[in-house]
Amino acid sequence: METTVTSKSFTVPIGPQHPALKEPGHFQFTVDGEVVTQAYVRLGYAHRGIEKAAESRNWVQDLYLLERVCGICSHIHAFAYCLAVEQLAHVEAPPRAEAIRVLVAELERIHSHFLWMGVSAHEAGFDTLFMYSWRDREKVMDILEGLTGNRVNYSANLLGGVKFDIDATQAKAIREGLDFLEERAGHYLQVLSKDAMFLQRTRGIGVMTRTEAEVLGAVGPTARASFVPRDMRLTAPYSAYRQFPVQMVLDDRGDLEARFEVRVHELFESIRLIREILNNLPSGELSVRLPRRIPAGEAMVRLEAPRGEVFYYIKSNGTDKPERLKVRTPTICNLNSVIRLAVGHQLADVPMILAGIDPCFSCNDRMVTLTDAHNEGERLMTWPQLRQHGIDFYKQVGK
Amino acid sequence: MKSLGTMFPDVTGSLFRKPATENYPEVRKAAPSQLRGLLHLKLASCTGCGLCSMDCPANAIQINMLDRKTRSFTFDYHVDRCTFCGQCLESCRQGALSMSSDEWELAALDKTPFLMRIGDTRNAGTTVAGKPENVSEEEKHS
Amino acid sequence: MNTISTLVSMLIFPGGLFLVLAGLFYQWFDRKLLAVLQNRIGPRWFQPLADTIKLLAKEEVIPNGVNPYLFIGLPLVALAGALTAALYVPVAGVAPSYGFSGDLVVVLYLLSLLTLCMGLAGANSLDRFSLVGATRTLTQLFSYEAPFLLALLGPALVAGSWQVGKITTYAVNHWLILTQPIGFIVALIGLMGKLEMPPFDAPEAHTEIVAGALTEYSGRGLAIFDLGRAVELIVGLTLVSSFYLGGVASLPWFIAKTLALLFVMIGLQSLLTRLRIDQTIGLWWRYGTLLVLVQWFFMAFA
Repeated sequence: METTVTSKSFTVPIGPQHPALKEPGHFQFTVDGEVVTQAYVRLGYAHRGIEKAAESRNWVQDLYLLERVCGICSHIHAFAYCLAVEQLAHVEAPPRAEAIRVLVAELERIHSHFLWMGVSAHEAGFDTLFMYSWRDREKVMDILEGLTGNRVNYSANLLGGVKFDIDATQAKAIREGLDFLEERAGHYLQVLSKDAMFLQRTRGIGVMTRTEAEVLGAVGPTARASFVPRDMRLTAPYSAYRQFPVQMVLDDRGDLEARFEVRVHELFESIRLIREILNNLPSGELSVRLPRRIPAGEAMVRLEAPRGEVFYYIKSNGTDKPERLKVRTPTICNLNSVIRLAVGHQLADVPMILAGIDPCFSCNDRMVTLTDAHNEGERLMTWPQLRQHGIDFYKQVGK
Repeated sequence: MKSLGTMFPDVTGSLFRKPATENYPEVRKAAPSQLRGLLHLKLASCTGCGLCSMDCPANAIQINMLDRKTRSFTFDYHVDRCTFCGQCLESCRQGALSMSSDEWELAALDKTPFLMRIGDTRNAGTTVAGKPENVSEEEKHS
Repeated sequence: MNTISTLVSMLIFPGGLFLVLAGLFYQWFDRKLLAVLQNRIGPRWFQPLADTIKLLAKEEVIPNGVNPYLFIGLPLVALAGALTAALYVPVAGVAPSYGFSGDLVVVLYLLSLLTLCMGLAGANSLDRFSLVGATRTLTQLFSYEAPFLLALLGPALVAGSWQVGKITTYAVNHWLILTQPIGFIVALIGLMGKLEMPPFDAPEAHTEIVAGALTEYSGRGLAIFDLGRAVELIVGLTLVSSFYLGGVASLPWFIAKTLALLFVMIGLQSLLTRLRIDQTIGLWWRYGTLLVLVQWFFMAFA
């Protein structure tokens, strides 16, 4: 096998296997020395065919399938699915169930932000912050385990409500945990905004102006750090956010430091919201029964996951299995900004910019584009075409 | 105002603290009561309706109807397929299922302990605790 | 008798085997202390030794397109350079018996030989990560060499000699950390740069370029490079602690002073974020050299 130098430009591949990535995804950065001149992304490595698999399982089984789209935002996916199905069935979950759903969602947000803080610190080379924030994340997971029964993938939702209740001892444990987490979050805010060497890696890097953020379609804290007031809990309130509203956290600097600070301020906001819910938990039952056959129709919901806006579309044809399910997760909106921002920065800044959008690759693999290696073109295949292609291919092989 | 070494108080404090790592298996913290562990069946309440089996996202429950008239059946539970989601508990209208909160160390060296027959109406009155030799070879592949 | 004692001193104590084992022990101390500072349990005492044995037992994969002689030879040259540098430095409190006038420069050159070999090993591979890592290694070498050498020359100036043995004998009676504090700080930070310890580990920033210059190395080559770095750790620590912390007169003093210095370095490692390579160069050429010149100014006129 010959190895030759093919071109003068120097392409550094990051992924699909790379220590900077927690999940597989392929980035190609063309560098000139240390400065990036071109960026290219290719996804599809974590595609599991969930949307198709959902069509052959009944409504109840799909709840647990969709929880496993992502490990960190699993509750949000189940929450969105439940809201959409309840919309189709013209049923509303009881207020106590909605409040508990929102409480678990906010706890999940806290979990996700602590995890992300550690991962970004690790990308920057600040391992101490990584270890300490992950140690504190254990506290959130312990709270969630005591509440729901599992540390990740909580399975708290039921079609029509939640599975469990919050009693006085659990509420006390949650409050104590929140006090600890609030104190730690305050300390990390100090570290992230004052540590001179960490600021050298985050201040003024990856600056995205408001117009750029709106054009590129950024969502979630990434957009809010560029002063785009987009938060699904406020722009399209759902579930118990109507009774317990949050305050939007905005920042106008648009650089990595702003994204860090927006997320830490969101931590405080989540803690405040959980305390408010615990103090004013509405009474009532925990769930209502949904029929096994959901009436025909279409439903769309938009929720605020820890990473941004998650969008669900469900189509039912009156049977006990969904006809079509579509999931659009926030990372796929934010990746565009990474590609655009990476150009002009140094190679060492690229993992930080990627970590700044809080990427979750297993969330965002919905569609696979086939690149024909011989024709250098791209083809899109529908499901029947793909199935026929497989049948023809193996008939050929068998001959 | 910037400063250097902002994690200094944490770092110096840790010199005098025990590590935060839990030294499992020497130290085994009690699991919370909410933990969803191994599935248990109260055979007396079970009617063999099969709703739990229909709703299980992982096809971990198999109810083999032996005689519909006398309501004789066996309840097979695949531990390796179970995702411990707890949906079967909710789907059961008789409240016959429960999940243990301290049986969660379920690793095994081969697959045989994972197929548990946790209910058999032919041995009614006792919940069969799931031994591999209870499920014979031909029954496994039926 | 003479040849036997020479062989023992070169191969077993305080050379060869002692250096390698002490280097592995100091690496363990590094990792364990870092773990304690991060509130976790670190590795057990034999972990670096176990890693070395494991690596030696693995297959060495020689990638396509490299020069195989360079690929296999560079780690050996690097280890040889580090081991030879130890001949002139009072390791384990034993006065160097092969010293000669001017061997300070030779020691520094031999240590740089190790870094140079790593850079060349990276440039030898066709892998993108190795090339970027090699560039960074060599860039970092060029940036901290000057201030580090100047900081080590401070003690040489007051001792009136360029021979390491004579400087350490002078330092036993004069604790130079008190009379040349700025020089000590520059030497400490320079040592961190030389050993590629965080915050100066941009050449092997594993979240950006996998393993830097050594990405393609596995098995025996990687084990020998790691041993070279372990020996470099010992030699570097001995050099700086014997110059500034009052000489290393005996084995207990050697252990105490080098571990104390390592303690401070690990404390700094846990508190600081990794610097980008351009920030490292900026730091060194602006502040490093400036501080050393300030120190020399004080020495000359104060």
